[in-house]
Amino acid sequence: MNAPLMILEIAVVLLGLVILLADLWTPPSQKQSLGYIAAAAVGLILLGSFFIEAPQARYACGQMYVMDDLALYFKRFFLLATVAVLVMSVEFADRIEAGISEYYALILFALSGMMFAASANDFVLVFVALELITVTFYILTSFQRSRVPSLEAGIKYLILGALSSAFMVYGIALVFGTANTTNFAEIATGAKAISAKPIFLLGLLLVLVGLGFKIAAFPFQMWAPDVYQGSPAPTTAFLAVGSKAAGFVLLLRVLFSAVPEVTVSWTKLLMIISGVTILYGNLCAVPQRNLKRLLGYSTIAHAGYMLLGVTAMSVAGSYAILYYLGGYLFTVLAAFTVICVVMRAVEGDDISAVAGLHQRSPLLAVTMALAMVSLAGIPPLAGFFGKFLLLKAVIEKGALQPAYYWLTAAALIGVVISFYYYLGVVKAIYWSEAPADQPALQISKPTRFSLYGCIAGMLYLGIFPNDMVEIALHAAQALKL
Amino acid sequence: MHVGLEHYLLVSALLFCIGLLGVIARRNLLIIYMSLELMLNAANLAFVAFSRFNNNLNGQVMVFFIITVAAAEVAVGLALIVALYRRRQTAHVEDLTTMKL
Repeated sequence: MNAPLMILEIAVVLLGLVILLADLWTPPSQKQSLGYIAAAAVGLILLGSFFIEAPQARYACGQMYVMDDLALYFKRFFLLATVAVLVMSVEFADRIEAGISEYYALILFALSGMMFAASANDFVLVFVALELITVTFYILTSFQRSRVPSLEAGIKYLILGALSSAFMVYGIALVFGTANTTNFAEIATGAKAISAKPIFLLGLLLVLVGLGFKIAAFPFQMWAPDVYQGSPAPTTAFLAVGSKAAGFVLLLRVLFSAVPEVTVSWTKLLMIISGVTILYGNLCAVPQRNLKRLLGYSTIAHAGYMLLGVTAMSVAGSYAILYYLGGYLFTVLAAFTVICVVMRAVEGDDISAVAGLHQRSPLLAVTMALAMVSLAGIPPLAGFFGKFLLLKAVIEKGALQPAYYWLTAAALIGVVISFYYYLGVVKAIYWSEAPADQPALQISKPTRFSLYGCIAGMLYLGIFPNDMVEIALHAAQALKL
Repeated sequence: MHVGLEHYLLVSALLFCIGLLGVIARRNLLIIYMSLELMLNAANLAFVAFSRFNNNLNGQVMVFFIITVAAAEVAVGLALIVALYRRRQTAHVEDLTTMKL
């Protein structure tokens, strides 16, 4: 079974159990600070992950689980995201009436699912890891169960999530039936003989439906705005960063490790999905007044941008996705941490709540403005360089197939539209008057630290991209493109 | 009549489509949820049939995973539906309209 290879996942699951148990002996007044302990422990696991190296792929559980550079990259990504999400949850704790320790533990269990997803090398593990993520997210989205929007978000996520996993399981059944295996490597070696069978292609298409739902790509995006709006802010942040990245690592693995030949013949389909997702997300975000819903639509658009890298079918495209996700992590977590602090006293998450934020708290205002500017893709922030790499990878392919130029044009139009609503938020922060009777904003030390971390990440990745490009390139080479 | 792989697959595809139709057409959350379970079981039937006719036991192992996951999903799902019913006294999808543009 080779369990030592899964040491990081085992550590995370144990940590989750320890938090659940510690809850029993912790007085109610101190329960919320368990989140800081969990965040510190996840930080330690993150440090520990740098002692693991994976120059060649190693396998566990009969080739189901693979440990390579790509898996390691995503595991660190998820661990880092969880540290920030846990700090955010402590900030949010007073708005959750009961069971805050369970909330922390569920975040950790979802994290373990994401880390397994990063190492999936078999459709069985794809299914189990995805379900581990999705089922915990059903609970996390509806955790404020006395608030109707939160419950409603949970139910919507539940129905559509279960529908997409039913599609996915049926697809896996068809793939298993035609290929007679669920292992990616074995499917890849036998792909020549089976990739012409219509049932195999249908199965694969159904699997892509399931993954498309996870990353909220058009036409499987309809759950995203409602769920993002209704969920507690830390859950929304975790959905936007962790769950989406887990979808992308699985997409990369399935498309490029299991069925590279089929993927090439589906280039056109992927290009259409990518272009439509970008335009849909950006156009729908324009009229939004609810900040979380606006970010929900914007993350749909960002899934579209990242799909650009998939359509490029090259190492350049894949490492651009990894780089983009790195920048996206800091940016989205910064934005949601600010939302979490600012919306404490406000019901409804309306943009007017951040009006005149720079008078109330310069730090929060700067963070939010930087996050919006980075999401819009304005230099010198991380979002700009990520978009640059993605578009570069697509344009390089344009010489072979002119359709890539159209895709580039769609992406650029999307970026231009997005300036409008991102800068609208910045305008509200700096050029609107704050309402008079607002309570002072209190930022706890760990939250302050996490905000500084996010700002540093956004600036560092944007101004000195070389190190990160190196790491992303290294990780993408594990895909054997 | 000899019952072959295609018969099992046909039944499984039918079950899947009936489930999908239920999810799309019905308006009660509980019925939608039952239809979703039907879709998962359609996949189970396909797995078992493929496993039997291809002489590959891995498919039946996968069925155990699916059943376990479906049980977890039902536990969470029913709890959510009950929580919603307590708040809104309804289990109809038309009433889930707090968040609209």
